[in-house]
Amino acid sequence: MHAVAKDTCWEARISLGFRLDAGRSMLSERSHQGPLRIQRPFYPEGPGVCHVYLLHPPGGVVCSDRLDIHIHVDERAHGLLTTPGAGKFYRSTARRCARQHQHLRLERSASLEWLPQENIFYEGTRCELLTRVDLQRGSRFIGWEINCLGRPASGETFRKGRLRQRFELWRDGTPLWLERNLFDESAVLNAAWGLQGQPVAATLVCTPADRPLVDSVRNGIHAGADGLFAATLADDVLVCRYLGRNGQAARACLTAAWQCLRPAVLGRPASPPRIWNT
Amino acid sequence: MAVPPDLRLLRLLQLASPTLPVGAYAYSGGLEHAVSAGWVTDEDSAREWIRGVMMRGLSTLDVPVLRRLHAAWSSEREDEACQWSAFLLACRESAELRAEDQHLGTAMARLLADLGIETARPWAGHAHCTWAAMFSLAAYCWRIEAEAMQQAYLWSWCENQVAAAIKLVPLGQTAGQRILHACSEAIVVGIRHAATLTDDDLGHGLPGLALGSALHETQYSRLFRS
Repeated sequence: MHAVAKDTCWEARISLGFRLDAGRSMLSERSHQGPLRIQRPFYPEGPGVCHVYLLHPPGGVVCSDRLDIHIHVDERAHGLLTTPGAGKFYRSTARRCARQHQHLRLERSASLEWLPQENIFYEGTRCELLTRVDLQRGSRFIGWEINCLGRPASGETFRKGRLRQRFELWRDGTPLWLERNLFDESAVLNAAWGLQGQPVAATLVCTPADRPLVDSVRNGIHAGADGLFAATLADDVLVCRYLGRNGQAARACLTAAWQCLRPAVLGRPASPPRIWNT
Repeated sequence: MAVPPDLRLLRLLQLASPTLPVGAYAYSGGLEHAVSAGWVTDEDSAREWIRGVMMRGLSTLDVPVLRRLHAAWSSEREDEACQWSAFLLACRESAELRAEDQHLGTAMARLLADLGIETARPWAGHAHCTWAAMFSLAAYCWRIEAEAMQQAYLWSWCENQVAAAIKLVPLGQTAGQRILHACSEAIVVGIRHAATLTDDDLGHGLPGLALGSALHETQYSRLFRS
């Protein structure tokens, strides 16, 4: 796949629903339009947690593509979603920006893990990536977004382009935690208060959480020499942030945080999905 | 509440005064970590930090939300003020920045109740009470116009940041005045920019500030609180 905008643009949509049925988290709803698919759901840790790989066969988002992902988790069901590879947002020549909207909705006592691999934003992209999570009282959620601006491994820095990125948690219709970024051709790319010239910014959120859980993440996880890592608590949302040089390091950091948090918040040990190793 | 026009400027000065007993001086808003990490080392980098956070952060969040809060108070839609205050709090990047906003807001609610603004009293116990919500309520009750309110809000934020920079970097008093002088011009531009933003545009995250303020929460030796 090369990095130039194509003439054809996709509009794709997928809706998935998880429901608990006789102790098994079933994929009860599954509909799609256009090139968004899933692989057959599977149960590597027993019937309680339904693992799903989300696929986007075109392999990347170009020009004015529109991708909509809707996930609904019913009471007491537990879903885990990841992707088999990085999401790519190519350079765009279109006036309209490409967009990917992800809407995750959890009922009371529902659990969802949202662990997609990193998003790579090519220099010159114009796009928005919005992730909104709607929780109810008693919902449990761990999720991350790992965003790489440019391709540092290929020597491509992100000097041109525009990325509007949001990651929002709402509970019972009230905003709980909102991260709203605009990465454009401005001081934000290099300033000390901005990205500090680093290409990778990643955020993990987890709820419900408390102060001792923040301490255990702080004590156990460090970013290494090339990056910064910090954990904090916003209301009962634990927020981990990584800022640094490479997507692999970001994923290693957030995976370690997930492994620390999962037993405490979801009552299960964390073994990384095998697809991450391929 | 009748406020004679010649009293409004004096009320505005009181609102913007660093002697307002809400405890703003106890917080550095991420600056203390920025200094200890070597991101801010001298007058130039202090000015760029303060101006940058104000232009990219406050001007896309606090300033436009203040105007919306002021409009909500003016039309007696307290539920709408409450929603904007909750939005503002949800955009705060760390436990420390949330605590600062809530502490200042709660202290201001008590002070305003003491000064005769009864609407403020229940806000002292409100989970979504913020500094901007109470600041805009005072401005509305004292008949201060929205733009003057926004200027005063940014001015007192800058003055507090400069006072922190003087202690932390450290800088001389004259260097501090040079930064304030430069920031005043940025305040005008920031407010103009804020007026162009729609509800959907509000709130641009500052990743370096978010990390810095979260790291400050566990900083070993420090002057400012979390």
